[in-house]
Amino acid sequence: MSVDPALAPPVILLHRVSRLYRRGVDEIHALENCSLRVERGRFVAFMGPSGSGKSTLLNLVSGIDRPTSGEVWVAGQELNVLTEDELARWRARHVGLIFQFFNLVPVLSARDNVALPLLLTRFSRSERQRRAEIALRVVGLEQRLPYLPRTLSGGEQQRVAIARAIVSDPDLIVADEPTGDLDARNAESVLGLLRRLSAEFGKTIVMVTHDPRALRFVDEVFHLDKGILLEGEEAERAGAAMRVAAGGGLMGDAPVSARSPGPAAPPSV
Amino acid sequence: MGYAGFVLANLLRNPLRSALTGSAIALAVLLVCLLLTMPAGLDAILTSVASDTRVGVINKSGLVFWMPYSLMRKIRALDDVADAVGMVWFGGAFEEQGKVTFPSFAVEVEHIPNTYPDYKVAPEALAAFARYRDGAIVGRQTMRKYGWKVGERVTLRSNIWNVNLDLRIVGEIPRDSSPIVWINREYLDEALKALGQPGLGIVMIAWVRVPSPDRVNSVMLRIDELTRNTDYETTSQTEKTFFSNFLGSLQGFLQILLMVTALVSLCIVFIAANTASMAVRERSGEIGVLRAIGFRRRTIFATLLAETVVLSWTAGAVGVGLAVIVTRP
Repeated sequence: MSVDPALAPPVILLHRVSRLYRRGVDEIHALENCSLRVERGRFVAFMGPSGSGKSTLLNLVSGIDRPTSGEVWVAGQELNVLTEDELARWRARHVGLIFQFFNLVPVLSARDNVALPLLLTRFSRSERQRRAEIALRVVGLEQRLPYLPRTLSGGEQQRVAIARAIVSDPDLIVADEPTGDLDARNAESVLGLLRRLSAEFGKTIVMVTHDPRALRFVDEVFHLDKGILLEGEEAERAGAAMRVAAGGGLMGDAPVSARSPGPAAPPSV
Repeated sequence: MGYAGFVLANLLRNPLRSALTGSAIALAVLLVCLLLTMPAGLDAILTSVASDTRVGVINKSGLVFWMPYSLMRKIRALDDVADAVGMVWFGGAFEEQGKVTFPSFAVEVEHIPNTYPDYKVAPEALAAFARYRDGAIVGRQTMRKYGWKVGERVTLRSNIWNVNLDLRIVGEIPRDSSPIVWINREYLDEALKALGQPGLGIVMIAWVRVPSPDRVNSVMLRIDELTRNTDYETTSQTEKTFFSNFLGSLQGFLQILLMVTALVSLCIVFIAANTASMAVRERSGEIGVLRAIGFRRRTIFATLLAETVVLSWTAGAVGVGLAVIVTRP
């Protein structure tokens, strides 16, 4: 019996989340009263100017940071209640991370870099290798298994990083400016790969990006400004500006999130 | 790749730095081993060169205050004395610079065999020593140092008797660590008389062999009793005590040497620790990524610790191995 997608719990659910940083006597509101939900299998982008809170939001949904107030639920787990070590374990199982600068371990081959997160599992060595090779095949790098990162191009390194993010079959893939260090051709290729992971493998992907090209590939865009998730007309305006930047509306037509989620209710777990 | 492979890959990330850090640790371990084994080494040297059945007799006022030669006859006449040999410091220098580089003594040739049976000098060498007045028996260390051979002639210039002696090497003391040179007392006596000086009426040190260790104390007491209330009161010690007191005079210098070496070792350890911490700091970004993809703090710490342990244990084993080679007798 199949589950009605409308009734399935969202992969990400944020409920009135704020993140406040204190620097001496100054208080910096990195994120204010932010609520959103991302359903399973969606490919969404967080966009906004520098300092708008995109990376803070990404850190919160990946369990790297904790909110000052509010609730963060990911894959049916409330993250606030987990200890540091529990969070690390949870991340290893449920989140795959992709960084702007690839962040591969320079002394390990492509295959060993991809197999690295599997060290935290109970898989045998041969099983770890097999899974790493499958992940590298998915990203089209099956010919590059023994290569060290420095011998690969930027685009190939980011593909290895994507393989590392999917190797443990996580519920959520989090990408922080994945095209930020790539040329146009490689950026398109990486965005296409993420799109394929979402469309063909049903992966939920959230991505922070400044890249207007991303609009063509994602299902939904959330705009942030000064720590606030824009809604309604404000979000439409930001989306239009982004489309203009991307080429006068010719390039992208991803729907800008104009939903008004209101205070989201925590899922029943 | 498992954790071991991960640790090894990180260790070989910068092979030159790992090698240099390892070398520093190996050197520190080597120095510490040498320091720790030095007292045992000195004791071993004492045990190998000194006997507990041979007694040294010197003037109570010190080595430079001599005793009359007639004392030797009195000592040999005592009960429980197997034999005794009187010695005078010759202070022979071999090379041009006139520096004394080995101890040389004028000895009573006929009393050497019974006083030093443990030296195992070849009988034919002892016979030749008795036959040739210009004969000399030389320790193996000095023989090797100067490349001397039995039968060779050498000239030693005494820095205290102001006389040059032309000597014929008739045998060696077969001990690798022995630097001693023995020459015939009568040969020196004649040489001095030929120069118009009075002969040798003195001894500087008397070595007395006692047949068994349990008689040693009684013999020492009776020798010192012999000279009580004379101008040359004596003090007697076993050979072992004698040499350990002699080495004792070097203790102050040795302690300073030990302290400096210990501080140098400590500095090396600090430098190695600093290098290791720099290597970790350089990788702080990478460690952050490991943390982000789910590695727990303790797992990351364990891999870093494993790297350090593998490096330091390997280097330590090399240091210990070198110490074993260096200190091998």
